[in-house]
Amino acid sequence: MINTHVTIQSMVLEKLKNMPLKFNFWLQILFILVFALVLFGPIVNLLIWTVTEVWYFPHALPSQWGFKYWHQVFNPYSNVSSSLFTSIIIAILTVCVCLLVSVPAGYALSKRSMPFRVFWMLLFLIPQAFPNLTVYMNIARLFYEFGLNGTLLGVVLVHSIHGLMFSVWISVAAFSTTDPMLERASRNLGAGPIYTFFHIILPQAAPGIIASCIFVFLESLDEFTGTFFVGAPDISTLPLLLYSASMEGNYQIASITALILLVPSILFMLIINKFMSPEMLSKLGK
Amino acid sequence: MTQLKIENLHAGYGSKMILNDFNLEINQGEMIALLGPSGCGKTTLLNALCGFVPASHGEIYVGDRVITKLPAEKRNITMVFQSYALWPHLTVAQNIGYGLKVRKVKTAEIQDRVNELLVIVKLEGLQNEKVTSLSGGQRQRVALARALAIRPDVLVLDEPLSNLDAKVRLNVRHEIKSLQKQLGFTSLIVTHDQEEALVMADRIAVLNQGKIEQLGTPEEIYRTPSSAFVANFMGAENHIEWQNDDNTLPAKSAQQIYFRSESVQVTVPSEKASSLSNDVHFDSDLTCQGHVLQSAFFGHHYRISVRCGAHTIQADHHSDLPENTPVTLRVTADALHIYNNQVETAAHHVPTSFQSNK
Repeated sequence: MINTHVTIQSMVLEKLKNMPLKFNFWLQILFILVFALVLFGPIVNLLIWTVTEVWYFPHALPSQWGFKYWHQVFNPYSNVSSSLFTSIIIAILTVCVCLLVSVPAGYALSKRSMPFRVFWMLLFLIPQAFPNLTVYMNIARLFYEFGLNGTLLGVVLVHSIHGLMFSVWISVAAFSTTDPMLERASRNLGAGPIYTFFHIILPQAAPGIIASCIFVFLESLDEFTGTFFVGAPDISTLPLLLYSASMEGNYQIASITALILLVPSILFMLIINKFMSPEMLSKLGK
Repeated sequence: MTQLKIENLHAGYGSKMILNDFNLEINQGEMIALLGPSGCGKTTLLNALCGFVPASHGEIYVGDRVITKLPAEKRNITMVFQSYALWPHLTVAQNIGYGLKVRKVKTAEIQDRVNELLVIVKLEGLQNEKVTSLSGGQRQRVALARALAIRPDVLVLDEPLSNLDAKVRLNVRHEIKSLQKQLGFTSLIVTHDQEEALVMADRIAVLNQGKIEQLGTPEEIYRTPSSAFVANFMGAENHIEWQNDDNTLPAKSAQQIYFRSESVQVTVPSEKASSLSNDVHFDSDLTCQGHVLQSAFFGHHYRISVRCGAHTIQADHHSDLPENTPVTLRVTADALHIYNNQVETAAHHVPTSFQSNK
């Protein structure tokens, strides 16, 4: 008798012990669902829009599905493919401009002995400190005087201003992580400073510089405001197309464009993840 | 023939001069050890030689060439760095051949020289490995081979063994020495380990505060240290300040006496009566009577601490002695290093654990 009593008691205890765990479990599920909805809800909506042909207002789902708009987008004569091409050209040129500045600047600024080091570093941040709109409006006004408005060069320069912050700051961090003894060893064995830079220092900093290039590339690909003020209407990039498509209520084109823009972002994020070492991240801004 | 000559060299960082009026001459094919505590200027001297620290005054000659103002890459003095500073993005062979590639030597010639060096430093078959996959000892040898590849006028080694395991260190020590004898390169090795300096060097320069305290062969440095600092640094850890009570000798008011623990003869008197006086007596030999404070096992002997009056003396003894055993210590005159009134320079650098109480 006593034995069964004890077992029942222990069972009740067991249940009580499990109760909060179960409650927690359902709470967790609820949170995960809410977060998933917040994160992926808009994306799901976007994905549905890409394969919609007809969708009337009160309905929860489109009445007609299909890839009609994909064919439209990937038609060689469509705006989208030409904009995609322009976007990529601009992004590559922006990366080149940023590299030209950030490699020497990053190396110079990684040296503690550099005069006004903090000032130079902050200089590249200043355009980000003001509201985008005012900065780009004034740039557009300036570029107008030089005839740069509506030109590829103008847009590349605007993107570079934005990209330089990333590329310079990351390059400084990348060069700071290189061991100064490696440089000394090279000089010691008879290599001049320039030979040493290209054969020893640059290879050491390369992963960080590649990561900064990817950032610049992605930023340029997604850049809207600057392109709008300096490039439109002569230069049409994907974000500009996205803007005009959604303004015209052409959600299918806008969604597909957004999806195209998503691809390089995800791809490069994975690569950056590989290149950015924790040691380098710890040197950011130092 | 003098290979490297340093004349009145002044060098340091910014306004802080670490080397003041430094002079040293190294003969062709000789290995000199720079020995001293940290902060004595050994590494600054190497950096000044290699052109990483500017010389504000004085001259450095390699043969009859003045190199004082030359940039680092034109000096032809190569260094084995303490951290090795191997380039992680290059293979072993590329690391070793770098100096030759810089000098635009033909690829085939570089390959021959690299293979030759790989044999010399016993790294055959590892030429295509990344340096990051090598062990500490192997990295050390790559660094050595890399520095030797260009046949430098002078090779400098900055604490080359400090990053190695104790066991590997003993091997590499002999390997570097035999390589040096075999190839006959002129070299300067920096170390803070007196044993390393004794084993490897042809001559030792003991440095203190940016100056050479003593320059001589390992035997000279070990047997006849010229100052209290050198004696202490070379392992004479016992220090007694002897106040001469004899008023008829006013000049010798205080003498600094240094001796090694292994030169102390320990005897345990049979009768208790003789162990009553706890005192030090210095005539020409040094004798003291005291009690054992503690004893530690050192492998082939015991290191015992003996309290003699105000002094604690370390002595080596073949067997263990229990605490408070009365003992008589004796150090013969030839094992004593005696200096007059050099207490400031010596005491300042003596590690506290080795210092006696007075």
